[in-house]
Amino acid sequence: MNDPGRKTILWVIATLTLAMLPQVASMPLPVLLATVLPLLWRTGSEFNNWKPLPALIRHGATALGLVTLFMSYGDLSGRRAAVSLLTVMLALKMIECYRIRDARLVVSFSLFLCATQFLFAQGILMPVYGGATVILALVTLTQLQRSEAWSHQENPPVVKASLWAELGFSFRLLALAVPVGLAFFVLFPRLASPLWGIPETTLDSKSGLSDSMSPGSIQSLFMDDSPAFRAKFSGPVPSAENLYWRGPVFWRFDGETWKGGFYGRNIETADQPEPTEGAWDYTVQLEPNERKWLFALDYPASVPPDTRLTMDFQLIRRQPVIQLFQYGIISNPDFIDTPELRGPLLLQALDFPENRNPRTRRLVENWRRETPGDPEFVNRVLRYFNQEPFHYSLEAPLLGTDSVDDFLFDTRTGFCEHYASTFAVMMRMAGIPTRIVTGYQGGWYSELGKYVLVRQSDAHAWTEVWFPERGWTRVDPTAAVSPLRVQQGSLSALSSPRHLLDYAWLRGLRNSADVVRQRWNDWVIEYGAHRQAELFAPLGLDHMSPAMLVTILFFVIAVVSAILFPIVLRIKGPGRKDPVQRAWQKFLKRLARVGFESLPSDGAIELAAAASIRLPADSAAIHQIAQIYTRSRYSAHPPPFSDLKQAVDKFRPNKNTA
Amino acid sequence: MPTRFGLWFGFLLALMTLGGLNFNNNMTLMLGFLLAAIAQLTTLLAYRNMVGIQVDAIRARPVFAEESACFKVLLKNPEERNRFAIQAESPEAVDCADIEAQNTQQLILPQITLQRGWLKMEPFRIENRYPLGLFRAWSVIIPGAQCLVYPKPALSPPPLPKTGRGEFGAAHRGEGDHFHGLREFQPGDPLRRIAWRTSARHQKLYSRVMESPSEEACELNWYLLGGGDTEEKLSILTAWILRAERMQIPYSLEMPGAALPADLGEDHRDSCLEILALHKS
Repeated sequence: MNDPGRKTILWVIATLTLAMLPQVASMPLPVLLATVLPLLWRTGSEFNNWKPLPALIRHGATALGLVTLFMSYGDLSGRRAAVSLLTVMLALKMIECYRIRDARLVVSFSLFLCATQFLFAQGILMPVYGGATVILALVTLTQLQRSEAWSHQENPPVVKASLWAELGFSFRLLALAVPVGLAFFVLFPRLASPLWGIPETTLDSKSGLSDSMSPGSIQSLFMDDSPAFRAKFSGPVPSAENLYWRGPVFWRFDGETWKGGFYGRNIETADQPEPTEGAWDYTVQLEPNERKWLFALDYPASVPPDTRLTMDFQLIRRQPVIQLFQYGIISNPDFIDTPELRGPLLLQALDFPENRNPRTRRLVENWRRETPGDPEFVNRVLRYFNQEPFHYSLEAPLLGTDSVDDFLFDTRTGFCEHYASTFAVMMRMAGIPTRIVTGYQGGWYSELGKYVLVRQSDAHAWTEVWFPERGWTRVDPTAAVSPLRVQQGSLSALSSPRHLLDYAWLRGLRNSADVVRQRWNDWVIEYGAHRQAELFAPLGLDHMSPAMLVTILFFVIAVVSAILFPIVLRIKGPGRKDPVQRAWQKFLKRLARVGFESLPSDGAIELAAAASIRLPADSAAIHQIAQIYTRSRYSAHPPPFSDLKQAVDKFRPNKNTA
Repeated sequence: MPTRFGLWFGFLLALMTLGGLNFNNNMTLMLGFLLAAIAQLTTLLAYRNMVGIQVDAIRARPVFAEESACFKVLLKNPEERNRFAIQAESPEAVDCADIEAQNTQQLILPQITLQRGWLKMEPFRIENRYPLGLFRAWSVIIPGAQCLVYPKPALSPPPLPKTGRGEFGAAHRGEGDHFHGLREFQPGDPLRRIAWRTSARHQKLYSRVMESPSEEACELNWYLLGGGDTEEKLSILTAWILRAERMQIPYSLEMPGAALPADLGEDHRDSCLEILALHKS
């Protein structure tokens, strides 16, 4: 009674499993076990007819699951933890899922679980996941409905549908729902501000640049080809040498690691650049990276909402970026940054660990005596990098305590962060204020999408040197070693591929394919009140009130329904048509063509007798078909379907004899 | 009309959509809208699954009082498509069937009987929750069908009266378990009566003619039962008819306003019982 049956329970388990896949992938191991074990038990019990567990064990398992969750996440207020709670509870619910009601609960919550997953990722593959979950859920719900209808009886249903018929039916249902769903999506009024606060939580692993820089930290980014952000310029795109996307700025160096300065991080800039004539105006679409930095070209003349511009011109957002985030910005490249540098900032920009790197220190002191002018000294060091055998390579040997000494005199192989760090230390030793800027450099311009794609592998580190009156000036020591890096990007500057599948043409292909993702981001993920307004602008409707939107929505739905309903009314449910019946219908049609109309009340034999009188020439064939039909229908050993089909196919009544 | 599960599903969808709006998460929103559109489609499918089904006939065999009257509802699907999980639901029972294309299915709705006479069938619903169980499409049918309810047979009736009249002593041909002779097979003869061996010898079917030793016959007479409760007398008569039938003793029935001569067989039994069922007290 009320038992959904084995097949259906397995479908429920399949739906839940698919729905929880992305969540499971992010779970810590103990929680993962708490999720998977109940499901395995339930699957096993279905096959081996194990008895349901006693209530005590079930409650014990639930308590254990909760404890595991709490131990793993600390508290359950975070979004990931909350969804994990839902997942574990659903998995545990499966243990006691023996009734149709419970099964329906699990399936509907699986769909909910699927919806929550979009809070964590909205990539281009997520719709595939969502669609697959919906289709599985539809199949399961269809089966549950059948089980429910027959729950009062012992005999199973007559029409048995094949797996493909069931999947096909669900697929058609989904496909037919798309137009109405889209209409809702486009026209449903959006909220300008959230109803309740979005809890500030970080979700999964952070990606992108970090808040400190030690040798190797950028190297890992070089391996990562995922997009960091995309920028769309309203005017011409600046040349590659100008595309320095400013991110975290570092002031303090302890001999190994560069860290941000307290002042730089916390004090807002006193004079903000003006958006003058030659300024660049562009929109950045930042992929979620769980960090607070927004990237901009030097120097940001506008500040996105909820963001502050620090005195070293980092754009720091109040919340980490956990969803695709789009901001417009204007940059003024001609701005003079801090013509006067004083006090603790000056001290910080000159500080270096005194007791390290003695060889470098001697070299710098010698050079400083020979070249007293600051700009000349900078050029001399750059020239040194350029002329001595320094290499730009990802395979940088490990450096010891005197990292600058080791790099400058021994290994001489490294990439941007080695050069930037070494250069900055040398400048500070020479008494020239210097700081390190990390971010991205360059990017790939998509002709198709008219935007610049910047990948994680475009991460870069460079330095800024302070000259009196000229202020902070960008100096990129990597460019001195490998000009290609700056002109054509980090990957072109490398002599060997990074990994097995690293070919230029493949990278080109991936770059081109990014347009799809960009469009997806632009039109699906970023669709909101703003885009909605844009959509109606060409119609002369600048400002749509929610009421108007809803009116249009109903109108569109009415039109769509008028087109769809006849189609819906024609789709067949899961199930195959009886082949015998089909052949018989064909036979009747052929008879009708020559003018013989059968009465619906006639049985096969009566019909054959009547038809024979009208068509004496075909009498034998008619009787034969009627006989095969009768046997197929009522005999205990029916002949194969093909017999009837062949006989009907051969049957060509002649009108003239009628 | 949404089912309870449909209401719950709707609540979950509303939650989903609200969350999607709040977090400005378009994919969650899209999922919510899609599921809502699917739910809306299923109302249409449920309606389509039902429309055009004809209630062909409703029949019920007579039963004795306090037994269940089984109303058989014949549903006909005149169209070229299958109908899924069509349910008939009365206050007391549910039955369900798929109806294939151009086919007929019989759904059985039992109904408890309390007293003899004609029992009117209660109104029932033909409904379905196809395909997802979110919505229910239904139509109420007020049937004109009736079921004849015989009086309840008395549990321990007095012995059969032995006051036979009329064909007293005459052998009653056709039925019984005493062999009388052979005759050529006529349509309508029971198969078990066919004399297979003889037939095999003569290339022709013969059936045995039986007779029952009806030295006795009984007369079931309302007036001879004397006074007492009408219903009680009716149930004694019912029990007698059944017993006489079982013992293969011909019986006649005499009631106020109706009388049947002595006979045996199902038809005779049914006519007698009908008279009892419809007796006006």
